[in-house]
Amino acid sequence: MRMRGALAAGLLAPALGLMAGVYVAPLAVYFVNGFHAFRDGRILPVWTLQTYADFFADPFTYRVVGTSVGLALVVTGLAVLVGYPLAYALHTRVRSRTARSALAVLLFSPLLVSVVVRTYGWLILLANQGLVNTTLRSLGLIDEPLSLLFNTRGVVVSLTHILLPFAIFPIYSVLGRLDPTLKEAARDLGAGWGATFLRVTLPLTMPGVVAGALICFTLALSAFVTPQLLGGGRVQVLPLTVYNSTVEINWPQGAVASLTLLALSVLAVWVLETALRRLPGPEDHR
Amino acid sequence: MTAETDRARTVLLRSVLALGVGFVLLPLAIVAFYSFSSVAYGVFPPPGLSLRWYGHLLRQPAFGWAFLRSLGIALAATGAALGVGVPGALALVRARFPGRELLRAFLLSPIVMPKIVLGVGWFIFFARLGIQGGVAPLVLAHTIVVLPFVISIVAANLVGLDRSLEEAARDLGASAPVVLWRIVLPQIRSGVVVSALLAFLVSFDQVESSIFLTRGENNTLPIEMFLYMEKWQDPTIAALSALLIAFAFVLVAAGLVVARGADLRRILPR
Repeated sequence: MRMRGALAAGLLAPALGLMAGVYVAPLAVYFVNGFHAFRDGRILPVWTLQTYADFFADPFTYRVVGTSVGLALVVTGLAVLVGYPLAYALHTRVRSRTARSALAVLLFSPLLVSVVVRTYGWLILLANQGLVNTTLRSLGLIDEPLSLLFNTRGVVVSLTHILLPFAIFPIYSVLGRLDPTLKEAARDLGAGWGATFLRVTLPLTMPGVVAGALICFTLALSAFVTPQLLGGGRVQVLPLTVYNSTVEINWPQGAVASLTLLALSVLAVWVLETALRRLPGPEDHR
Repeated sequence: MTAETDRARTVLLRSVLALGVGFVLLPLAIVAFYSFSSVAYGVFPPPGLSLRWYGHLLRQPAFGWAFLRSLGIALAATGAALGVGVPGALALVRARFPGRELLRAFLLSPIVMPKIVLGVGWFIFFARLGIQGGVAPLVLAHTIVVLPFVISIVAANLVGLDRSLEEAARDLGASAPVVLWRIVLPQIRSGVVVSALLAFLVSFDQVESSIFLTRGENNTLPIEMFLYMEKWQDPTIAALSALLIAFAFVLVAAGLVVARGADLRRILPR
């Protein structure tokens, strides 16, 4: 059924009205603040680029951007490195359909629990006398407890855990769409397991890897709860700059930091989407 | 390649899988375990077991009210997002007009927008409008956050539909709105249900987007917990978290049973 223009406009109008009023307008009002100045605890209603100039002249800005991007890269890399074998093992080595769906539900179950709860779990696990340190000590691997909380390590471990389902899911779904005859053909032509994996399975599942990396990177870049609760003030990332600027009523600086964060997210999406378009999909080889 | 090395590989990969599931569940399991700890500080293993933190939780009615508030906000935001998102997805998939791809990208863009940025934007916006406190700003904000999930899932479900059913209905004299309501919507019911579940979960777990819209009397549950954790780290939060984890698993189990029941009804001969 082709839809007439009037009907389509009527169907889209409520969504567009809501987006204009509660999305575009608030962001516009907020971002305009970036072109105002902030002096002595007050926002000056003058039009200036001074806030931008100050923000990008401050070496601290580059440290924060470096920490944010570095953290997002490391966490994304870890989530994909841990997620790929899990998706692969689940797809290829669990034959029973019931067992496979049960394991999939377990792997995705943390998403049902608030990110605050998951972060709290890591707070308990990584404490000086927590499970991780106690286990390592009783195994004789360390003498002194490792300090895993209130620094980058704890944030990395916890964020990797939080983002892992987003890495597993796209890889698992691409594995499911893979034509099994391709693998058989490679085996018949004499390729061993390693060669088959490296030359057939891995390249064909790269779209899933890139899609997973895309979600993980953008979510890691804008993560706030975990760096705030586990970073102990030592993991200064852009979302915390936005939060702290807002608390100090320095909306101009918050707006500039927000636009920087948004620009980094959009850049990451653009880079990875370009990569995704250049990759062959599993259907292209049928 | 021998069968033996393949068996070894299976054992290895299954161990990796077991370790992975363990890693994924460990923080949830430890939270449930610590809710029965007898002491306030985090030491493993705890020196004794007790129910004192559940008692402590019961004496803090703020958490109960925040839970009910979050539930209400999530239901309202999900309903609103379905109300505007399902028709929007229909038009996006079915109508042909210039700029359609741009419009789709715009409607899905809140997914990429960092939540803390949206949160500050809403804080300033609603303050300017003189709307402070209450749940209305939270419902509106959460509706925007979950709308892209509804639109993308429903749109994906609309793409593969068999058009001949609709053509038949048209030939039999049904008007366009009747075809949408009686023929198209019933076919995408599962997509609508999935998107509603996801929207509910996403709304229920909003922290960054809502933290500047709450001021104590209208705290949502994750915000109440976040603020409590910034001050104290005793197992009261573990007790509450354990209850939430149990609640989530009961919901999933119920969902699975309902889904299985529905499938059985379809498969079994009448």
